Amino acid sequence: MHNAGYVAAGYSLTLVTLVGYRWLLTIRTRRAREYVSTITRRSRDKRRRS
Amino acid sequence: MRYLYKALTALGSYQAQRVMGIATLATLLATVVIGLFIVPPDATQGDVQRLMYVHVPIAWVTFMSFGVTFLASVGYLITKRIQWDRVAAASAEIGVGACALTIVLGSLWGRPVWGTWWTWDPRLTTTAVLLLIYVGYLSLRKVADSPARRAKWSAVLGVIGFIDVPIVHESVVWWRSLHQQATVLRLGAPTIAASMLATLLLGFVAFSLAYGYLMAVRLRVGRLEDRSSVPVSSLSAPRASRPRAAGISTTSIPTSVGSDGHA
Repeated sequence: MHNAGYVAAGYSLTLVTLVGYRWLLTIRTRRAREYVSTITRRSRDKRRRS
Repeated sequence: MRYLYKALTALGSYQAQRVMGIATLATLLATVVIGLFIVPPDATQGDVQRLMYVHVPIAWVTFMSFGVTFLASVGYLITKRIQWDRVAAASAEIGVGACALTIVLGSLWGRPVWGTWWTWDPRLTTTAVLLLIYVGYLSLRKVADSPARRAKWSAVLGVIGFIDVPIVHESVVWWRSLHQQATVLRLGAPTIAASMLATLLLGFVAFSLAYGYLMAVRLRVGRLEDRSSVPVSSLSAPRASRPRAAGISTTSIPTSVGSDGHA
């Protein structure tokens, strides 16, 4: 295959970008979920104490 | 407009996402296998033309993303519903990634065919301007000091920025360009071989599905991130006294989430 390097680089980059973005969204979901559950728990405890 | 949001909400359910994720994977895999190994190489450019099966569909995703950002921005400016702002932001984020990838893939294709990585050609320059506009859009979202102001400013930019999309598409017609003219979206029949066209159309389906899937996941993240920026005091308040999801206030973001019930 002529110019195979450019083709391979293009396809690899595309797939890495798609997978990378999906992974980044997983990390962001986890962080936001942890944050929400932490502040919800903290506010619930505060309400109980008061 | 309402139907667009309903469609996006329907895509937000876990089941729909799962189905779409599997369909995306299958069509992407088929595009890669057919594009790399089955379709014959181009008579003039040889194998490097195989980059077309990813470059063109990703350029399509760029236009689609910024089109959705435009519609959602108009939706926000008319209704002031925060959901539209979330849709616009999610789509712009995907669009920026797709636009950058389009430029890089075009550069990889241009080096062996044109003999250069980059040239100040009208199509390339207007695409670079498009990328800068939407990078500016995402930056603007970071600097705005209140959610309402952020939504309003970015909606205005989302509408104005879209003007560059038809300019990018028509740049090869309006100006003398090194970039080839439209082969599929043109008046009259497409000018490529049937097997290449079929693979290209499969690529369009695969990357459109990938866009839909990433949008659904990104919208869920958006809802969660908005929730996580709600002050603790409003979370501890009774449910009835919480602000409605339909509106937006400058002091807090609505805490209710989408209909999928996961966020």
